[in-house]
Amino acid sequence: MQTDVLIIGGGPAGLSAAIEAASRGLDVTIVDEANQLGGQLNQQTQELRPLPSIYESMRGFELAHKLIEQIKDYNVRQLLNHRVVGFYADGSAGITDEENVFPVNAKKIIVASGAAEKAVAFPKWTMPGIMTIGAAQTLINRDFVMPGREAVIVGSSDFAMETAIQLMDVGIRVKAIIEKQSGTAAKEQEKVSELTRKGIPFYFNSFIKEARGNGQVEQIDVALPDEVITLNVDLVCMDGGRAPILDVFYQLGCSFGFQEELGGWVPQYNNRLQTDREDVFIAGNAAGISTHGPLLLTGMIAGISASEELQAISHAEAHEMREALWKELGLLEYKEVYSGRVKHLENFASPVLKDQFIS
Amino acid sequence: MDDKSTIICRCEEISCEEVEEVISNGGRTFDDVKRITRCGMGPCQAKICTSLVAEIIHQQTGLSLSEIPLPRMRMPISPIKLETLATNSTSFSAVKSVLDEVELEEGKVR
Repeated sequence: MQTDVLIIGGGPAGLSAAIEAASRGLDVTIVDEANQLGGQLNQQTQELRPLPSIYESMRGFELAHKLIEQIKDYNVRQLLNHRVVGFYADGSAGITDEENVFPVNAKKIIVASGAAEKAVAFPKWTMPGIMTIGAAQTLINRDFVMPGREAVIVGSSDFAMETAIQLMDVGIRVKAIIEKQSGTAAKEQEKVSELTRKGIPFYFNSFIKEARGNGQVEQIDVALPDEVITLNVDLVCMDGGRAPILDVFYQLGCSFGFQEELGGWVPQYNNRLQTDREDVFIAGNAAGISTHGPLLLTGMIAGISASEELQAISHAEAHEMREALWKELGLLEYKEVYSGRVKHLENFASPVLKDQFIS
Repeated sequence: MDDKSTIICRCEEISCEEVEEVISNGGRTFDDVKRITRCGMGPCQAKICTSLVAEIIHQQTGLSLSEIPLPRMRMPISPIKLETLATNSTSFSAVKSVLDEVELEEGKVR
């Protein structure tokens, strides 16, 4: 199979990149392992804001619908339930439909592989009933399955706060939010206040000492600063933060830098969202963990840059659009994340890890 | 971590104690821990334990996380049946390409 632009990952960043490339007449192929496009947006019922100025604020699944509607106008090949298994010596991507593996030869590749949640390890954390916040959110909002009745949440990021509210909305009792630091990790205080108003206790400087149960979590011991308390729960949601998904970049031979504000190891890229492999672009959470506005904007920049290289858009026009999008990115992104991103761009020529794939 | 019996790699059931032992014997990377314990060699291929092991190395040695390199990420990116990988296409062989990871130069590994 031949295509102009292969986009790996059909979430918000991949879709916004697809719109930019396909609207300029390029042949675009999106590959995603899920059975529908939209990625994590499909289980995000919270209102997303601020979004880039071309979108009004809306809920996650509504944004997914909107982006999917937009690509329907263009020539976009969708490979759903397909996975990239690796890359071959001739540069083609090996893609499987679970029956066969076939090569896809792309002039440009945009990788929008997203982020993975990190676990929080404590004794017996592998028991059923203990899962990441993202898993709990997927169960309630996408699969309409109750993951439990009585829950605690370990960690207090914005994602954890949103999920705590959504768990309560479907009738799950949230007994506590347990945070090892002395304050909440969430940047939006609004949701923290909402939970406090609803009477949810926040235990700071605290952690789970141990989980217990017969075949499934039934009880946890929580170490508070000066005592240990026991809670009866059948659901523990772990919020260990998120990190970019890197294996595709690693296989492609891209370089990496370390930027804590962006989620740790991140592929190196320049302000065109181009990696040090010139035919490979990056977008979304893979380029640094951020909020929805920046995810869409990085997708747009990557899509424009790939289109520019394929002469579907002039250099001058691409340059001007990128300038405007970067400006908007600076406005929408949390200050510390954006400054981490700027530092990361500056390190483009001096990556920490390079030539990893071939030893 | 207080309780050393805590599982770090759930696929291969590797405990914190086993990871720490490798580090006390000089292990400084995820792949050092992997080679000695099988940590990260199960079905998830280190997708869960990478950050947990990096954190333990950081705690025990004081190395910053940026000094602890990423584990090697090989093809296939996620598990695939051999039957599927050995596709029946005559124009293209996926199995051969596993060897693409090694580049040869004048008959020797580069």
